[in-house]
Amino acid sequence: MTSEFLVKMLGEISAIMQENKEKLIALDSVVGDGDLGLTMTKGFAVAYETAAKGEADAGRMLYNAGKAMSGAAPSTMGTLMALGLMGAGKVLKGKTELVDTDLVEFAAAYLDAVMTRGKAKLGEKTFLDGFHPGVEALKAALAAGESLAEATAKAAVAAEEGFKAAKGMLAVHGKPAVKGEASREMDDPGACVAMLIWQAIAKAAA
Amino acid sequence: MKKIINQPENYVNEMLEGLYIAHPDMITYTADDLRCLVTANKVEGKVGIITGGGSGHLPLFLGYVGKGMLDGCCVGGVFQSPSPEQVFNVTKEVDTGAGVLYIYGNYNGDILNFDMGAEMADFEEGIRVETVVAGEDVASAGPSAPGEPNHRRGVAGIVFVYKCAGAAAAQMKDLDEVKRIAEKAAANVRTMGVALTPCIIPEVGKPGFTISDDEMAIGMGIHGEAGIRNGKLEPADMIVEEILNKILPDIPYVAGDEVAVLVNGLGATPLDEQYIVARAINKRMEAEGIKVHRYYVGEFATAMEMAGFSISVFRLDEELKALLDAPAHTPFFKQF
Repeated sequence: MTSEFLVKMLGEISAIMQENKEKLIALDSVVGDGDLGLTMTKGFAVAYETAAKGEADAGRMLYNAGKAMSGAAPSTMGTLMALGLMGAGKVLKGKTELVDTDLVEFAAAYLDAVMTRGKAKLGEKTFLDGFHPGVEALKAALAAGESLAEATAKAAVAAEEGFKAAKGMLAVHGKPAVKGEASREMDDPGACVAMLIWQAIAKAAA
Repeated sequence: MKKIINQPENYVNEMLEGLYIAHPDMITYTADDLRCLVTANKVEGKVGIITGGGSGHLPLFLGYVGKGMLDGCCVGGVFQSPSPEQVFNVTKEVDTGAGVLYIYGNYNGDILNFDMGAEMADFEEGIRVETVVAGEDVASAGPSAPGEPNHRRGVAGIVFVYKCAGAAAAQMKDLDEVKRIAEKAAANVRTMGVALTPCIIPEVGKPGFTISDDEMAIGMGIHGEAGIRNGKLEPADMIVEEILNKILPDIPYVAGDEVAVLVNGLGATPLDEQYIVARAINKRMEAEGIKVHRYYVGEFATAMEMAGFSISVFRLDEELKALLDAPAHTPFFKQF
């Protein structure tokens, strides 16, 4: 695996956000202002374009992608996704050759950056509740000796389960929190974004 | 709207140009960006302190850049956060190798943009950045439990945090120590205010909310955030009583404590009225047995033409007192 894989992965993420743009707008309109579909498509498109410029250092490439994304999608969710890429860039800085477990490093750092900067915990009906199960599944599958394709496919399934489980959670952050107990009836748009990211990663590794 | 301005969209930059013209011995800007303000007197080897936030609050934020206080400040449009790029540019300029401390108010947009600026400074320049977020408005949220995030807004009390951290940095203390002092100062200050009239964002042209002629908004924030209650305007002594009834039990401040008090005009309230407020505060402090070491009366954190005031109470110990008393010289804060 090289940083080429990460570029391909960002390309798949950009594509899947584009395919699900209307779905994200609809989900976000229930709980927020509906702009999530726009910021995610625009943000990840710019991240991909920037990553595709041919930077060999995987960390710097992710950092540049995140920085460009933050300028293109300056909403809370856009900024958090950008900070995720930048945080992942920090742990992969200086690497031009990657091994499969570097994807775990990538995902764990991404999760950590979003969690720290977003000041949210697991179980609070956010992006994290979709993303975290994917990280854990990937880590376990690779540790069990499975291929990257198998492991990322399992991560995608785990992320989908995480997204479904987030539905019953009580929202405590942002606009969904205003809905109070009623938020337990609603899908979380952030967790949906997380699920889509894992589906895209699996597609890139397939 | 009745303002002494030119084109509303030039409000912030023309204000900045005026500041640079008036105070060339103290402040300048970096990155060819008027909104990236830095000290004209950089001290090598000193921890750099940066703040920032929306415009429309002068003397906050940029009026405290100078000797003994802050080293840099980035401002956005009126009530808008500066960008990560601006934060990064100011960080690069003020760092002299000792690291940089960010001190700013507790607003989500500012937090994300400053965090992002810190990431850029780390990744691109290897600059160590620490952050202290100040939030002391007792009307904006309840106290947070230990380990839980603070939901209170940051308002005028941040000036005490600037002052103590700035004095510590001027003594060439290291980044960890300056951060510790900033955190300690932030933990010992509480603020609450009252608004009598709304303010107008120049590019909007009309108030975003209204307060009836005979009413006041107790606990309103400096962007017009809802406070505790709206009610009939009362005499100064009664308003001060209500505010201190909320502030004093919060830490709590008790008999024997020594404090500094900051009376802050929100923009359109005359100094005369602010001193009437100071008088009322002193009566109450004497009754409580709380010793007031110093009063600061004037405009420190405004909301343009909003009328009203806020009271900040800062609990002192020997360390904070010495730092508070240290000299400082900035465009809006002079102490000898």
